[in-house]
Amino acid sequence: MRTPSIMIQVLLAAALIYGTLDMPKWGDPHSPAASHVSPYYLEHSIEHTATPNVVTSVLADYRGYDTLGETTVIFTAGMACILLLKRRDKS
Amino acid sequence: MFDFIVDHYNYWTYIGLMIIGFYAMMTKRNLIKKIIGMNIFQSAIIFFFISSSVKRGGVSVPILEDAHGHAAHGMEHGAHAVDVMQYANPLPHVLMLTAIVVMVATLGVALAVAIMIYRKYHTLEEDEIITAMGGRD
Repeated sequence: MRTPSIMIQVLLAAALIYGTLDMPKWGDPHSPAASHVSPYYLEHSIEHTATPNVVTSVLADYRGYDTLGETTVIFTAGMACILLLKRRDKS
Repeated sequence: MFDFIVDHYNYWTYIGLMIIGFYAMMTKRNLIKKIIGMNIFQSAIIFFFISSSVKRGGVSVPILEDAHGHAAHGMEHGAHAVDVMQYANPLPHVLMLTAIVVMVATLGVALAVAIMIYRKYHTLEEDEIITAMGGRD
């Protein structure tokens, strides 16, 4: 039980560390994540949404439908908790 | 070699956290410990994404300066363009905000299910539950 799982962990860690060898440097301002899409939001956020906080403008404006769906997730989780934890009458 | 380690050790930290969480999920028999492992796993992924938004060199949070009040009108003069290198990448922050919400939702449902299991079987040990259910040992 324990030995095979440790072997799986070691294999997974080795594969992941092998994957990080090609990752961009930490804090590289020209990394792929920081150079394609995100400058557009930083440059046009004020023009489009008049909001200085870019995180807010992306969350509530550009991705508004996603946030709306997120409230569905919260609602579903809350209803599941209520239905699970409700004391049932002894019948 | 040393520069390579300095540039990449953050990823290895998150891999370590992720392995700890995955190990707890796989081998622990207590359901609460499994849930804690799941949270450590999710936290590692959130740290990984947040670290990808860092830019070196005088970078602040992605809240634009000189933008309060008449921001939309200020752009008409075209006076200042936003210096992208001055602000951290906002998109990982947004995505992880969503992921934190999902994490809290799964944590709540998992704890509720654990409470229900405890009410029915009066234990949270996985093997005792399986025995009580009359399944395999």
